[in-house]
Amino acid sequence: MPTEQYAYEISLREILPLLDVELVDIEGFSCCGEPMKSVNQLMTLYLSARNLAIGEKHKLDMFAPCAMCHLALSECKYVLDSNPEMKKRINEMLASEDLNYHGDKGIVHTVDLLHDHIDIEAIKQHVKKPLKGLKIATHYGCHLIRPSEIGRPVHSENPQKIEEILKALGAETAPYAQKLDCCGAPLLANLPESALTKTGQKLKAIQEQGFVALVDVCPWCHKMFDSKQVKAGETVAAKLDIPVLYLTQLIGLAFGLKREKLGLELNLSPVGKLEF
Amino acid sequence: MRRIGVFVCHCGINIAHTVDVEELTKYASNLDGVVVSKSYKYMCSDVGATLIKDSIKEFNLDCVVVASCSPRMHEHTFREVISDGGVNPYRLEIANIREQCSWAHSDKEKATEKAKFLIRSAVAKAQLLEPLKTSNIPVTPEALVIGAGIAGIQASLDLANNGFKVYLVEKEPSIGGRMSQLDKTFPTLDCSSCILTPKMMEVANHQNIELFTYSELAGIEGSIGNYKVKIKKKPRYVDVKKCTGCGDCAAACRLKDRVTNEFDMGMGKRGAAYMPFPQAVPLKYTIDSKHCLFLARGKCGETPACREACAQGAINFDQKEEIIEKKVGAIIVATGYDLLDPSSLYEYGYAAPDVITTLELERLISSSGPTKGEILRPSDKQKPKSVTFILCVGSRDETQCTWCCRIGCMSALKQVYLLREKLGEDVEINVCYTDIRSYGKGYEEFYRKVRGLKTNMFRGRPSEVRNMGTQQKIDIFDTTTNKLFEITTDLVVLAPALVPRSNAVDFARLLHLTLSGDGFLLEAHPKLRPMDTFVNGIFIAGCCQGPKDIQDTVSQASGAASRATTILAKKELEVDPLIAAVDEELCTGCGVCVEVCPYDARALNDKSKIAEVNEALCVGCGACIASCPSNASIHKNFTKKQILNMVDDII
Repeated sequence: MPTEQYAYEISLREILPLLDVELVDIEGFSCCGEPMKSVNQLMTLYLSARNLAIGEKHKLDMFAPCAMCHLALSECKYVLDSNPEMKKRINEMLASEDLNYHGDKGIVHTVDLLHDHIDIEAIKQHVKKPLKGLKIATHYGCHLIRPSEIGRPVHSENPQKIEEILKALGAETAPYAQKLDCCGAPLLANLPESALTKTGQKLKAIQEQGFVALVDVCPWCHKMFDSKQVKAGETVAAKLDIPVLYLTQLIGLAFGLKREKLGLELNLSPVGKLEF
Repeated sequence: MRRIGVFVCHCGINIAHTVDVEELTKYASNLDGVVVSKSYKYMCSDVGATLIKDSIKEFNLDCVVVASCSPRMHEHTFREVISDGGVNPYRLEIANIREQCSWAHSDKEKATEKAKFLIRSAVAKAQLLEPLKTSNIPVTPEALVIGAGIAGIQASLDLANNGFKVYLVEKEPSIGGRMSQLDKTFPTLDCSSCILTPKMMEVANHQNIELFTYSELAGIEGSIGNYKVKIKKKPRYVDVKKCTGCGDCAAACRLKDRVTNEFDMGMGKRGAAYMPFPQAVPLKYTIDSKHCLFLARGKCGETPACREACAQGAINFDQKEEIIEKKVGAIIVATGYDLLDPSSLYEYGYAAPDVITTLELERLISSSGPTKGEILRPSDKQKPKSVTFILCVGSRDETQCTWCCRIGCMSALKQVYLLREKLGEDVEINVCYTDIRSYGKGYEEFYRKVRGLKTNMFRGRPSEVRNMGTQQKIDIFDTTTNKLFEITTDLVVLAPALVPRSNAVDFARLLHLTLSGDGFLLEAHPKLRPMDTFVNGIFIAGCCQGPKDIQDTVSQASGAASRATTILAKKELEVDPLIAAVDEELCTGCGVCVEVCPYDARALNDKSKIAEVNEALCVGCGACIASCPSNASIHKNFTKKQILNMVDDII
């Protein structure tokens, strides 16, 4: 499923073919439904199930690079697979479009696609410019790690898959106390000040601990850390200038791809200062 | 034709509520061979027993069927009753219409129908029941106790003081177990070693106790009254007869203070030649073959430094593992517990040096510990200004251990008290708890006292312990005030869950014991046989059965010793005759039964080439009966003919 964050999508479409992954764009996909969840849960389930059913029709696993879409789809799969009544009800709603949800296809996110399906060794083989000497902080994002009951691509308390990918790229990583802290995005609509405080606190801590960049894998988190970095800095009275990249952009750099091919000009944080 | 009496029990309303007992009684009276059929409210009561005995006389019965609860409950009772009445006790058949009928169903009509089937098949079997005789075997009046923590020590002393010989096996170089690692005990604040050491000395000097330290159980054969056990004695590389415990070898060891001391839970260091703690029993040194340069790498300088240093010539690198065989009548298992490794709960930050467990803190508090009783943080060896306890780490947690560890609250409260004493008034002490379970005698009073010692109590589970470098930060939502607190602290102490020993599965398999769902050893009945196991003659005591404090452990250990005495004190044991037998005309002497028998009860007779049954060893497991290709092995009173008669009658 495509995302509105072009830099993420551009870089994904650059690196995945190199790793022998073919992305198939299917017509008819809609929103995953997550933004409506607090208003109408049935609608969220229906929209997610509809997308999954379209994927099933083409006999393909679903790739959702957005952590929030991935959560909505996973939650839908969890509910429908464990609640036959709800499955029946949703399938009755899908019937008008001649769709049916079976639940026999997987849902993957960028992180497990790279780490579990492609394999670290394959990534290592494509590295042309190792990220030597770069100490990089990771941010997984709440939607990717929790709730663990429904099955998430990474461990909920001690996620390590991005770290392992970064090591394969030749970069350094280190645990930091604020690693699992929220980016602040869910508060942005109602309590913008609080949201930016969360964003700023986390970026400040990363900067103070000597990291030279932050990688993320969620469009929402990225918006907070990258696009709103200056504002977040003002909120916590700190001068923030830390490059924030999508993991896929960083992989592209390590693979020796040109910056413009990875959508780096779309990043608002100072990615230009990242040198290796 | 047999003269059978059927006796149907109401079991109060347990059976009568779901099964029409009167109809059953009437129905049974019309079955083949049944001359009398009666019901009573409690057949196991004195009145019920008299009813059966009188009926035997009045109707000249030679076989009895009781329709009641599971034979596990009252088969023995009714055997005695009919034996008193003059019928062979093995001419009894139980129709289980409670566990297998009334408790399992709710439809009265259908349940009554099912009960009829059960009674009919029982009567069918009763018609073919043979009278059997019990035989007697002599008992070895000696006991094996596995594990020499406080449970094993108490059980051994009780047995030895009753005049029985005890072999006490301990896998560590010294006896004492977990209790010897503790500084003080709750709620009385008794010095742990002051109350334990006298018992350890008593064990060492008792003429009825033979101690095997640094040893493990390697094998077991036989059954109740006559077990043959193999004890594996690991090489100490020190001749215990010559060693005086002077410590010259440890002082000379080239690895002195370089090997992690497991007795100090990794907080302190030792050498390869070491004694785990100063009050060790036996007071002998051990050379750790995993680390010793000479044993692990074949070279320790010019010549091993310990051998040079030992004036007694006690160091012997040629020692080999020894297997010692003993015969015992009963066995007590007291193998204790492990602590959950908090690393599995990443959010509690155990990877940081200043996040430790309660047992690690115990070693810091102990005056014989690595810091000589000074409370110093592991990272910078400074006194902490703030200490935070987190209870229920992995306990009462569906993702880890569902059970309560039963000692976490009280041991942490005890440590709070001791820290207040050692660190003074100004140190901040926080306790994050789920519930304080101060259930024992004097525990609640102790809790009240500790709360008064300027202790900050937070009710809740911290979401995360963050390592901020020199300090730890804890977010906790206090559910009594509904407020979120952020605690910044110097030292975090985790009270981890109590878990079964890491080798519990293999150990249980060795002794044919059963584990409960949580992985601890299963008792035969949680209320009425808490020290027994399902293997006759093997008893359990202490935390191997489930978490408990020292008080409960000692009580259970004395209980287990007393249970073992009921076997050891007998000269002979009656052997249940419900065991295997051989139809000599059918046996071809193929020997399959000899191979499959897990109890070594089957053997081929040298002369006749027919497979015999050793009645003292056979437990009636049925393995040889199922595997016999010529149907020559039979199970007394569970013969094919009897069973098929039951089946024929109900289909």
